[in-house]
Amino acid sequence: MRFAKFLGAVGFAAALFAAAAPGPARADALETITKAGVLKVAVPQDFPPFGSVGPDLKPLGYDIDTATLIAKELGVKVELVPVTSTNRIPYLTTGKADLVISSLGKNAEREKVIDFSVAYAPFFNGVFGPDNVKADKVDDLAGKAVGVTRGSVEDIELSKVAPASANIRRYEDNNGTISAFLSGQVELIATGNVVAAAILERNPPRKPVSKFLIKNSPCFIGVSKGETALLEKVNAIIAKAKTDGSLDAIAQKWLKAPLPKDL
Amino acid sequence: MAYSFDFPAVFDYTPVLVDGVVLTAALTVVSTVAGVSIGIAGAAARTSGVKALDTAVGVYVEVIRNTPFLVQLFFIFFGLPTLGIRLPEWQAAVLAMVVNLGAYSTEIIRAGIQATPRGLIEAGESLAMTRAEIFRHIVIKPAMKKIWPALSSQIVIVMLGSSVCSQIAAEELTFAANFIQSRNFRPFEVYFVVTALYLGLAVLLRWLLARFGNLVFARRAARA
Amino acid sequence: MPEFTTWDILYNLILAARWTVVLSILAFICGGIAGLLVLLGRVSPLPWLRRTMNLYIELFQGTPLLMQIFIVFFAFPLMGVETTAWTAAVVALTLFTSAYLAEIWRGCVESVPKGQWEASESLAMSFTEQMRYVILPQALRVAVPPTVGFSVQVIKGTAVTSIIGFVELTKAGTMITNATFQPFLVYGLVGLLYFALCYPLSVYAKRLERTLHVAR
Repeated sequence: MRFAKFLGAVGFAAALFAAAAPGPARADALETITKAGVLKVAVPQDFPPFGSVGPDLKPLGYDIDTATLIAKELGVKVELVPVTSTNRIPYLTTGKADLVISSLGKNAEREKVIDFSVAYAPFFNGVFGPDNVKADKVDDLAGKAVGVTRGSVEDIELSKVAPASANIRRYEDNNGTISAFLSGQVELIATGNVVAAAILERNPPRKPVSKFLIKNSPCFIGVSKGETALLEKVNAIIAKAKTDGSLDAIAQKWLKAPLPKDL
Repeated sequence: MAYSFDFPAVFDYTPVLVDGVVLTAALTVVSTVAGVSIGIAGAAARTSGVKALDTAVGVYVEVIRNTPFLVQLFFIFFGLPTLGIRLPEWQAAVLAMVVNLGAYSTEIIRAGIQATPRGLIEAGESLAMTRAEIFRHIVIKPAMKKIWPALSSQIVIVMLGSSVCSQIAAEELTFAANFIQSRNFRPFEVYFVVTALYLGLAVLLRWLLARFGNLVFARRAARA
Repeated sequence: MPEFTTWDILYNLILAARWTVVLSILAFICGGIAGLLVLLGRVSPLPWLRRTMNLYIELFQGTPLLMQIFIVFFAFPLMGVETTAWTAAVVALTLFTSAYLAEIWRGCVESVPKGQWEASESLAMSFTEQMRYVILPQALRVAVPPTVGFSVQVIKGTAVTSIIGFVELTKAGTMITNATFQPFLVYGLVGLLYFALCYPLSVYAKRLERTLHVAR
């Protein structure tokens, strides 16, 4: 009787989902954006200097400035949609955002699901931690607790190269990962070089000093698969911003360094 | 671009799902045993007649029941290290669930104890039993029997609540769901499967608790 | 990076708590209305309706709130409906509340003596008329304390919406913690604010139970 009830509840849920027919094929995104006059961009809130909040809890950072630049070039308003590392790609694939500008790294699994623009920001992944923790190379991670944000490029790359006895703790979003590091719940943190630098700048209780770098993984803008018109326009805007110095200005403001020539 | 469902993508990660189910179950069992024990002790304290004990346990109960479990968990996992108490995620999760269930159990069991007919207690007193003996032999068993359905519901609620322990990277079932989703980018299918697993766990747990209740608290015919 | 004082922390938390309150009220009202419909289905004389509503309740009482929120958040866009974290939070909490309130109210309806049903039936009242004029008014009296008690669960439930990024009290707490490196203080204040919201309701529910207590 109980089992029958269970099956019934599952069947009921299945019926609810089946009733939800897959959404209609979307109109060209670039057209929709220009017509609506609004560009929805998914940006991070917990990943300085790419995206964080001030005391007024308003978003600010490299990605926010880039989003504003692109919207201006398209002649529309920008609508910033705060996301976390784990839901930024689902946001794009389910149409909640037109672009993802969230220090997004490119890899083969993601390429299957979304399209990437040209690079717009430099980014190195690495492992960071306080001076008293020894971790000069990846094998030193054996038996140590490393915090990382689930689904990020650091997570995927680290999982590939870390020794079997490394204790990789994956948190839902960067807030959780950074919190875990600062409170000492994990000894080391795998994140971006500029992010660790931004944390260091604020004089934290535990300092994320660079131990070793995992991968040079610049940031790309994520676009929904198949939206070629939008992708081309975004690439054109980024190329222009590189040559006329506006992207360099953003880099100087947030990364305190000019854009690398080979970006 | 229409969305096409891809359920087999979820079952590529079956070992992760199995781990998640096992760990959720383990977390629940440990927390239930400890939590109900605290509940019995807390209820005994509240009905002992000692005002200070009653108030102290009362404060504990009200604080826990009027704050969200997620906040209690974050406080234990992220906040306590500031005081030098660093608990890794499993211990933090168990502690949070035990403290949480303990508060609710205290109140539920206390209600059961307070419903004990006066006559039974007086009978025990007339046999020169101490308060402790009366509690142990006369009061607690009928009380537990009476409130067992309510307590079972609360245990199921706590089991479902273990879902938020994923937020401190405890690798239970919801963590498994989020992990798989971050690898195959199929949140919808993954969450559907995991929800069905939770439903199964809830049904199973309710059934087990009902059997347990019948086994331990059923009145034995010979006693009549 | 800008500096936070203790007052800054508390001020921002209180601002975020407004969203907790708004979400709770909205979910409670919408959930209440939906719950009433589910209840009517649950006690209806039509067996298929009873069974469907029963499965609905089993579904929402047998799965974690967090999973329900995730599913609403990712499923709705597939049906072509644009959802923000806010809409998903409201919808998920509403459905959750409706299932639990329907169960609570069902218990209250069933506590109305069978004689009332029989008497009103013998007066040739339809099911809707029975519910409206005879059963519900009596069930209402018994229902008030547990309903007020459940409102506390709704407020606590809003904390889970922080996980999909909705900025209410808990999410503000996690953001401010990382900006200030003071998790003990911040989460302590967050707990205090929730307590301030929930405890008065808990006390009120207990008092209602005493005064409206229906003698058996």
